[in-house]
Amino acid sequence: MNRMLNRSLLTACLLLFISASLTLLAEPKAKRKTATESSGLVSSDSYMGLTGEELWSNNCVRCHNIRPPTMYGNAQWDVIVHHMRLRANITGQEQRAIVAFLKSSK
Amino acid sequence: MKKIRNVCLAMLIQSALLTMLAPVIRAEDATTDGYVTRKEYDELKAQMLVMKKELDALKKEREAGPKQDYTERQSVVERHEVAPPRGEAVADTHKQVATEVEPPLVQPEGLLGTTKFLLAGWAEGMFEARNGNVSTFSASFNPIFLWELTPKILFDGRLEIEPSGGGTNVNLVNAQISYLLNDYVALGVGEFFSPSNVFVERFEPQWINKLPDRPIGIYHGVLPNISVGAQVRGGFPIGPTRVDYALYVSNGPTLNTFDAGTAGTLDFNSYTDNNDDKAIGGRVGFLPIPGVEVGYGFETSKPGFQGTTFADVRALVQSVDLEITRDSDLLKGRINLFAQYAWSKVDHAVYDPDGSLGFGPLPLTAKRDGGYAEIAYRPTELDSDFLRNLEMIFRWDHLSADPSGLGDPEETRWTIGLDYWLSPSTVIKAAYEWDKPNGERNRNALFFQTAMGF
Repeated sequence: MNRMLNRSLLTACLLLFISASLTLLAEPKAKRKTATESSGLVSSDSYMGLTGEELWSNNCVRCHNIRPPTMYGNAQWDVIVHHMRLRANITGQEQRAIVAFLKSSK
Repeated sequence: MKKIRNVCLAMLIQSALLTMLAPVIRAEDATTDGYVTRKEYDELKAQMLVMKKELDALKKEREAGPKQDYTERQSVVERHEVAPPRGEAVADTHKQVATEVEPPLVQPEGLLGTTKFLLAGWAEGMFEARNGNVSTFSASFNPIFLWELTPKILFDGRLEIEPSGGGTNVNLVNAQISYLLNDYVALGVGEFFSPSNVFVERFEPQWINKLPDRPIGIYHGVLPNISVGAQVRGGFPIGPTRVDYALYVSNGPTLNTFDAGTAGTLDFNSYTDNNDDKAIGGRVGFLPIPGVEVGYGFETSKPGFQGTTFADVRALVQSVDLEITRDSDLLKGRINLFAQYAWSKVDHAVYDPDGSLGFGPLPLTAKRDGGYAEIAYRPTELDSDFLRNLEMIFRWDHLSADPSGLGDPEETRWTIGLDYWLSPSTVIKAAYEWDKPNGERNRNALFFQTAMGF
């Protein structure tokens, strides 16, 4: 009985999980004013049509909250993004665009 | 008449001589008609010698130090090119420096020379009250040492330091040297997080993990957490999508054979090898759109001790994973969906064949599975600062029973949590977990935790 209850709960959760995924994927991502747009800064570095800021936002937030560009110095960002490139498997172009954005956003 | 002719001849000769000597005489005077004086020539020559010495020094410095990044090179080259010329020869030398010689390294911030070092990591403190156990506080400090020797070479190492009993435990979690071969390939050697275990590689640090504890199945059972070996990894675009990959060879797990409860399970915490066979594993991920990734991972190995009847037993671990992060106007916030499920299979073997260990002979094809699914919501688009910093989490995690049927029973847990973010990397967590392994009393638990990433 207990096993049946567990399986029912699991099935319900899986259905909820899948439906939430489909809903999220179907909904276009909201166009919000970004930090650099607000401050008048525009990153000129881009990769695959995405700016350094978009690459920074898209890649970092996949795992954790975004830390502001002012939190670290230029040399520290070099090391951090190098480390994250290895962890998140981003390309060299993405790494350079993200670093350029972070350094230009201070 | 003859005298007059001689006088005319003398005048002609003098005129001719004056005409020939005039430029020489003019050259020795200060002039403004475009020619250089001897003094100017000597000054330029001296400047050239100084420039040549500087050029030689630059060449030596360039050979000694690592290459600087492209942006810095360009800016220095531009500075050379716009420098006001002190004469054509000086300007030519500037151009030569700018075009043929890489300019000297621009000193990075700080006083550490050309290498870049960063101490990162996190710290956490937790209270746990679990049914059947005494309630306890715990704490840990997890420094991450990042040392970028050049823009291509990085060392990253992490320690886990925590109080235990009457002392302090210090564990080396990972230590890896990596080299960026090109934009799409990186090589790594050492002790690294197993690429097939997405939770460990990306979400395990407690300032990232949204719940106080880690999912069984993925963190404690079916998948390897750490591997000692070598790996190649990277990512590359395919049209508007992206693929990432990791392939590694490592010492691999050890097959548990001595205990009835764990017979047939894989011990991933034995980092030294027990045979000459090496495990091969990897993961491939596909990102169809930003913020969405699906992946498949595997590891195949011979986990038995060399020279025993288990030496040829093969184990295969496979997993699938899904990660979605989306900002939603509809929900006025951010949704994270993380899930991974893994299966392991160890070929048929007979454990304790002669009964000397007291539980055999036990013929077994050991299969195990486990995984988790987690959904988190943070209302990042609300106006209230307090509400924006809240995050709600729900997780299901599962681990099948030990394959011998004599060990731990199947375990399924349900956990809800509420986080409050004090900063992007500082969080206070509260969670309650329903945990009732089959056939055992419940192990429900209440957690409070704070964690800070730095």
